[in-house]
Amino acid sequence: MKPDVRARILDLAATYPTPKAALLTALETVQQAEGGHLSTDSLSEVAALLGVPLGTVYATASYYTMLNLKPVGKYHLQLDTNIPAMLAGAEDLLAHMEQALGIGVGETTSDGLFTLSAVEDLGACGTCPVLQVNDRYYENMTPACFDELLANLKQGVVPEWKTEGNWGTECNMLLARRGKPNSTALAGYVADGGYQALEKALTLSPAEVTQMVKDSGLRGRGGAGFPAGVKWGFLPKDSTKPVYLVCNADEGEPGTFKDRQIMEFDPHLVIEGMAISGYAIGAKLGYIYIRGEFAWIADILERAIAEAREAGKLGNNMLGRGVEFDIRVTRGAGAYVCGEETALIESLEGKRGNPRLRPPYPAVSGLFGCPTIVNNVETLSSVPFIVREGAEAFRQIGTANNAGPKIFGVSGHVKNPGAYEFPLGVPLAKVLEAAGGVVGNLKAVIVGGLSTPILTAEECRDLTLDYDTCAKYGTGLGSGGIMVMNDTVQIPAIALRTIQFYAHESCGQCTPCRQGSVAIEQMLHRVVEGKGTPEDLDNVLHLCKTIKGNTLCPTGDAFSMPIEAMVGKFRGEFEALLPKAGADLAV
Amino acid sequence: MSDCLILDGEAVTFQPGQTVLEVARQNGIKIPALCYHRKTGPAGRCRVCVVEVEGQAGLPTSCNLMAKDGMVVHTCTERVLEVRRSVVNLMLANGEHNCISCEQNGRCELQDAAYQLGIEIPAFTITGPKAEIDDSSEMVVLDRRKCIQCGRCIAACNNVVVNEVLGMGQRGFESKIVCDLDRPMADSTCVQCGECVQICPVGALIEKKAVGKGRSWEMDTVDTTCPYCGVGCQMTLHVDTDANRIVRVTGREVEPNDGMLCVKGRFGYEFPSSPNRLTQPLIRKNGELEPVSWEEALDFTAERIAKIVKEHGPDVFSAFGSGRITNENNYAIAKFTRAVIKTNNVDHCART
Repeated sequence: MKPDVRARILDLAATYPTPKAALLTALETVQQAEGGHLSTDSLSEVAALLGVPLGTVYATASYYTMLNLKPVGKYHLQLDTNIPAMLAGAEDLLAHMEQALGIGVGETTSDGLFTLSAVEDLGACGTCPVLQVNDRYYENMTPACFDELLANLKQGVVPEWKTEGNWGTECNMLLARRGKPNSTALAGYVADGGYQALEKALTLSPAEVTQMVKDSGLRGRGGAGFPAGVKWGFLPKDSTKPVYLVCNADEGEPGTFKDRQIMEFDPHLVIEGMAISGYAIGAKLGYIYIRGEFAWIADILERAIAEAREAGKLGNNMLGRGVEFDIRVTRGAGAYVCGEETALIESLEGKRGNPRLRPPYPAVSGLFGCPTIVNNVETLSSVPFIVREGAEAFRQIGTANNAGPKIFGVSGHVKNPGAYEFPLGVPLAKVLEAAGGVVGNLKAVIVGGLSTPILTAEECRDLTLDYDTCAKYGTGLGSGGIMVMNDTVQIPAIALRTIQFYAHESCGQCTPCRQGSVAIEQMLHRVVEGKGTPEDLDNVLHLCKTIKGNTLCPTGDAFSMPIEAMVGKFRGEFEALLPKAGADLAV
Repeated sequence: MSDCLILDGEAVTFQPGQTVLEVARQNGIKIPALCYHRKTGPAGRCRVCVVEVEGQAGLPTSCNLMAKDGMVVHTCTERVLEVRRSVVNLMLANGEHNCISCEQNGRCELQDAAYQLGIEIPAFTITGPKAEIDDSSEMVVLDRRKCIQCGRCIAACNNVVVNEVLGMGQRGFESKIVCDLDRPMADSTCVQCGECVQICPVGALIEKKAVGKGRSWEMDTVDTTCPYCGVGCQMTLHVDTDANRIVRVTGREVEPNDGMLCVKGRFGYEFPSSPNRLTQPLIRKNGELEPVSWEEALDFTAERIAKIVKEHGPDVFSAFGSGRITNENNYAIAKFTRAVIKTNNVDHCART
């Protein structure tokens, strides 16, 4: 390992309460410095440097999909093949890529230039298919675009790239600055009234700020919809330990690409939201845990944080008022489960992203055993408005018990897939209309990200999008990731792709999730291939029934509920794939 | 005063801080709990120990459910059993859990759970890449085909004996127990203490030397103190009485070792039946060692010591005690050296 890399790791280790916590970031640093993979020697060196047992280093290194224990090509081509990508033609694109490269998935070209991987959701569902080349995203990919890209890469040219997608806002809050030029700069944010909410918050007591958030009715936008102010209230009153605020930016639920809209185009909104929230809960340090694939967004955040710090908006003496709060950005390394708050905390501590046994809950014992509040990007980004305009103004948006705006990410069979901000309680039909309307005949919609049960066209006709109504309809608002499917879609294929995702992402701790996801995957695979049996379908449903509620974290529910709904509501489609009685199974 | 909860219709008392699993076991109710071990604590991973609690949604795992006064718990409702069966089925579905030839037969917690739940053969199978067996090390076989990923061995290795060798590699269905950076156990930093073997609920970690040497129920057990050093670890010898042979050794979960043993105590058990073992006193006569009676040996030794001390003074004598004998023996050596020989030249291997 080069001396400068060692030095960087040691500097990093010094920023944590224990050097061990730097493990994940250290591995990412070494991999980047050493040509894209982690050798045994590097792993041993990191272990010695940070005082972590070898077995624990391996456990972490082998857990994350972005860490490579084997060499990869100079250009690692990673095609998102999850459901939104599938609906946008990623399967055909993958076949085209295999042909163009002359290799299959998981292989490297003989010249060592290209490694091809089919990967899970990259958080670009509105701009699918998306191809990640090393740490760059090439969105809205077509076979022709790929050919052009490939020709460039072969010449050693990595083409320019930009991320742009459809969007719209009715609320002008979370996406208000989305279309402005240079929207990430501090000056523009301040000119648009930014950091006034922080000014105001610092004239109030932390308890008053918390009360405002409670009164606003703001519910957690990560998926669970738990009231944010109430969550803050769980912090122990008598603790002498430091309190941490963690911003969950591990956006990975298939169908979801909302948080990146805020971070990428209006980073100061989330920074200001964190500063206010940090003040309210008594935290001096906040972390933004962002999925590793969003590397360029992490860079944007880091630049914005540095700018805010420079301008005295963050740091030891926020706005000159003697209040301390700063933010660090930590990058994940490819693990869906890290979006679950205790898994996220484990990952922040440099470990495998395995969810923790609860109690204790993070508010009592979270990051480094200290009281910790984990809030979603969109939740924290709603806080400045609440403080600036008041709780009542926030409640005016949306419906009773479902206050405020929400970004809906619409993907799949609509004319203009994209991110659309509406008040909670907006009719689904209106959101689909904003997205240009359904292409073809609507068959089914998943409204809250892949973990929420599917609704038939009939069921969702009058649906309004808020937490309570979605629950009433037997689904969930979740993250607001809306996946639209027209009648060209075969639900068994969607079900198989769904369970493949969860089987790939299961951390492996709990038997029902680790074994059950693979059992269901194999059963559905047989069915889709025309080799299934009625028992397979019965077993799938029985497994869904018994897995639901019986895992450490919600991942078991996240696949058992949607699979149960797909098989239950579209059973005829699954049964139609079963071999007819007396047919030759060997065919 | 202790608190009270209703367990399967019976009022039972408990101490604050006890889990429902502990209270149930204390009252003779068997709840399979494959990832839980007292020494490694609740892990909530295997999901077999679920129970039903009145007024509580879902089925909580009893290993980390704190008993509360007035709680009404059902441990074997059909709803509970259905979930347990499903989970155990999933464990059996992909492993090669072949009880017929498994070393763990008769003391396997998975086998017990399947038996209790009436599972004869798994309801379905899961196919997967063939799991590897690591039999590279001298004393331990790691048979990953039988691993149920309970994590006990990892917790024990890292948190109980703190040898920090084992880890969980990969994730999800591909998760596997690894040594160091996924090295064969023989090439790893493993010191072969065997704590992982003792704590493994199934046949995934077994004593290599015991393979094929007899079933657990054929063994007579003898509780004894480890003879190797002065710590006094408590152990159980599993003896094939017919062959007059120790087949395996397990640590007793009592003071001072709480089940832990070192490589010598756990695996160095051949010496009682070694043909090289001294079984009677020998005296070298005319250059050859000859068997003699205890009387002759002791008289000879006493005479020689007396003569040497008389001629050269007591300080030419020194005595070494041993960690392999009892406290009382060591005391006698010190007393003899000081009171009879009259020198302070007495030492012990465990002193440094």
